Amino acid sequence: MFDISLFVLMLLGALLALAVYLPLRAGQLSLATPGFYTIGGTVAALLSTTVPELGGNEQTYPLTSVFLELMLAIPLVALLAFLIGKPVLKLKGIYLAIATIALVEILRVVLLSSPWFGAAVGIFAIPQPFEGPEGYAAAFAVLLGITAWGCQRLETEPLGREMAAIRNDELAARCMGVNSERVKLIAFVLSAIIAAAAGVLAAHFFNSWSARQASFDASITTLAFVVLGGSRTWLGPVIGGLVLTALPELLRPIGDLRLIVFGLVILLGPIFIPQGLIQQKRS
Amino acid sequence: MEVWLQLLVNGISIGAVYALFALGYTLVFSVLGVINFAHGAVFTCGAYFTYIFLGGVVGSNGLLAAQKLPVTFPLAIALVLAGLTAAMVGLLVETVAFKPLRRRGAEPLLYLITSLGAGVIIVNLIQLLMGAEAYALPSNILGSMPAVLALGHGLQIRTVQLLLLLVGGVTMLILNIWLNQSLSGKALQAVAEDATTARLLGINSGAMIQLAFAIASFLAGLSGGLVALSVNIGGPYFGISYGLKGLGVLVLGGLGSVPGAMLGGLIIGITEAFVPAKLSAYKDAVAFAFLFLVLIIRPQGLFGKPPIEKV
Repeated sequence: MFDISLFVLMLLGALLALAVYLPLRAGQLSLATPGFYTIGGTVAALLSTTVPELGGNEQTYPLTSVFLELMLAIPLVALLAFLIGKPVLKLKGIYLAIATIALVEILRVVLLSSPWFGAAVGIFAIPQPFEGPEGYAAAFAVLLGITAWGCQRLETEPLGREMAAIRNDELAARCMGVNSERVKLIAFVLSAIIAAAAGVLAAHFFNSWSARQASFDASITTLAFVVLGGSRTWLGPVIGGLVLTALPELLRPIGDLRLIVFGLVILLGPIFIPQGLIQQKRS
Repeated sequence: MEVWLQLLVNGISIGAVYALFALGYTLVFSVLGVINFAHGAVFTCGAYFTYIFLGGVVGSNGLLAAQKLPVTFPLAIALVLAGLTAAMVGLLVETVAFKPLRRRGAEPLLYLITSLGAGVIIVNLIQLLMGAEAYALPSNILGSMPAVLALGHGLQIRTVQLLLLLVGGVTMLILNIWLNQSLSGKALQAVAEDATTARLLGINSGAMIQLAFAIASFLAGLSGGLVALSVNIGGPYFGISYGLKGLGVLVLGGLGSVPGAMLGGLIIGITEAFVPAKLSAYKDAVAFAFLFLVLIIRPQGLFGKPPIEKV
């Protein structure tokens, strides 16, 4: 039997993979995605559990309120990503990766330790806008569809080409008149927005939310989605996110060995298919 | 005044272990230019190996339930053995996760993923074999030594802290002498400087990379064992937070810089020690916030060379 909840998780994995993919497309290895995802989820969890006006009169939580949460979380995270991105994107390569890991760790520790955000236990009983997982699957599918469409469009637009140029050689791209600082910042902010939107929906889906979502493991696992799926086109991260989220669940019958097999896949993937599952057409 | 000194002592002793651990990252980075994300898992191995070599019994949840070694080693030998076993694990990681990519000259991003995969495998193997429970090293390991030494003026140091400081310091001293005085140490530095030229001069760079991995993993295993002396092994994920902190130390000091890693370890250890007890929950955040600030002000770290952009 096909498990719809698993399908929702797969769509979520694909969304987060796209969020990692965008800065990577501009050659920037940012591991901040779980941080922005957690902020999105925290905004949704706090609003929906503490503002009674959002609840409405019906049994289920109104969709318009979810939309309102998105409208609040997205500008907030975009502003944050802008302010953080300005200084951070000056860092190159692995320094950027580690600075973003540091940011996610700071966020996690602060959220886990301060009582306003539910501290270590998290925020519980987040109201449900849908009766079952089918509704969530539809919502996530719409969000993924919009994001993937945007990423696909980007590949032919000047902005996307500028991103690819920076990835290939930033200095050369700058010489050709590409404003690399601006392009990198746009990619970073867009990535944060995708992660935050995914977080808002995920908080409702999981019913509870804590900063444990923002772990170092999550950063690297989402990066693995992108690398194994293929980091050159939008389809790669989507496929990588779908397949690798499903894998540990599908391996459940082999019990304790499943995470070892998962590790093997991550280990052997880049060795045998360095370009990822979805490879770029040669032109 | 005394409180101040006491915190400094605490900070230096844990900082020495951070430095020791981060030196492993540094060695591998200096020869390969990539970060080994399995380093934290090797650290965890070291802690578990120390437990086993000290004659500890495996708990009831793993495949090895209720097993133990027929012999019990004294602490010093157990620590060295744990380091050596960890070095073998490190060599295995190099062979499986690094060598195939190295041969092909793959992009650095891929090493992150393969080494992470190796780390996931190690951590879950530990869980499979030893179970997820916490382990505490036997309390009598220090033998007849007192648990706390008074240094006068109300200043005191736990014997374990002193041990951390001594072993950490001596190991770093040996490492420094080896790197700068011995032929193989200089060969390693040559590979770090320029692998191609080193090869042309007759240095077997593949062997040097393996040597770097072996030493790095020995240091990780040793620091895992040392940390396990002062805190319980919390489970197979024991090494993750240390792995992260080690990354912080590495970057703070400057990638690939040996003195940088040592100073970085001390700075992060001391910074953490000075976080007031009331805010101790934020201790980890303080270390990372500090790292973040340094990166913004000095992107190449304290001792790193600024990258030169070539056209």
